[in-house]
Amino acid sequence: MLDEAADAVRVALPWTALLLAAALPWRFLQIVFADRLLDLGSDASRYGTYLRSAALMAMLAFLVSRWGRLVYARAIRLVHANGKNPGRETLRVPPSVLADYVFIATFTELLSSMTAITFVGPPLCTMLSGSAIGTAELNTTASISEPFRNIARAKESKIVFSLLLVFACAFVVAFINVAAAFALGYWLVSGMGWFDAQRWAPFFSFNNRRFVLAAIGCALLTLEPFWIAAHVMLVRKAGAAQSGEDLRAWFEELRRA
Amino acid sequence: MAAEEYAGEAARSRGLLHSAPMPGAAPQRCAYHAERAGFAICMSCRTTLCQECATQWDGIWHCTACLAKKGTAPRTRSPIAGWVVVTAASAALFYCSIRVMVWSGVLLAGLR
Repeated sequence: MLDEAADAVRVALPWTALLLAAALPWRFLQIVFADRLLDLGSDASRYGTYLRSAALMAMLAFLVSRWGRLVYARAIRLVHANGKNPGRETLRVPPSVLADYVFIATFTELLSSMTAITFVGPPLCTMLSGSAIGTAELNTTASISEPFRNIARAKESKIVFSLLLVFACAFVVAFINVAAAFALGYWLVSGMGWFDAQRWAPFFSFNNRRFVLAAIGCALLTLEPFWIAAHVMLVRKAGAAQSGEDLRAWFEELRRA
Repeated sequence: MAAEEYAGEAARSRGLLHSAPMPGAAPQRCAYHAERAGFAICMSCRTTLCQECATQWDGIWHCTACLAKKGTAPRTRSPIAGWVVVTAASAALFYCSIRVMVWSGVLLAGLR
């Protein structure tokens, strides 16, 4: 499934660019918000108005990123169905699907913020978020119950959990690679005469909190297309298995061979 | 007769008729066409159906009558109501998310 997801990501490359463009402001503002909080520390409670405005900006960017995710999930679904890069059809997301997905995504985000203190809640919310994007296109009407029903009907919690573990490991690898890429870029540029390497050295260091946060954000951005593609593939494959569509496709393949 | 038995056997081999007939027992027949062998069972009314009468919807076999009932089932809520509820719920969640994001952030920052 992960191999098929990787193939689909390769075919849907232009839509990956759209996804990253939509997700970039959200990740950037998340980093800014986290950075401000870490700056303020225990005094953060005195800066409620300021933090609320930062959170508002982040949440507005969150809505844009969810639209990007939905378009990307649709692109992956079309690639899975047709085997080629879909055209403008990808952008024709039904309004009810978008409304349902924004609702479930905002609910997941709220739940994630509420349970952040537990350190168990966010991974569970990540699983819910993955199932939400995987089943997003199964919603047919604007409803607050349908997204939950479709997630419950998928009954693939074990595989979703496995995907979470796989992507947790992938995150570590991506983080190391991103940090290494930054370091390599810094080393290459430092060879140029006009670049003041001494001045920039503290920035590209793990002692610099902003560098670590930026590397985390970049690692998450790198994994996002694969994560969405894996969940869309999972839901499509589970649906095909339930309806017998996979057997029909297999028989057709055998008949052709 | 041989063709009907063959059709029944084929349906059983595909797992569509779960109860294989006992030796000597009459093979299952379509409820609407007595001359045809059973092909599937309607999951709503448990009627045996021939290939023509059985319709698969969402991976489940239905008879025409049950499918028509599903098609004409009265909607409990208009689509506009659904839109209003989803929009209101999303707006409320959006507002709460901002508040809770700040609250949990302050809480976590205070732990440092």
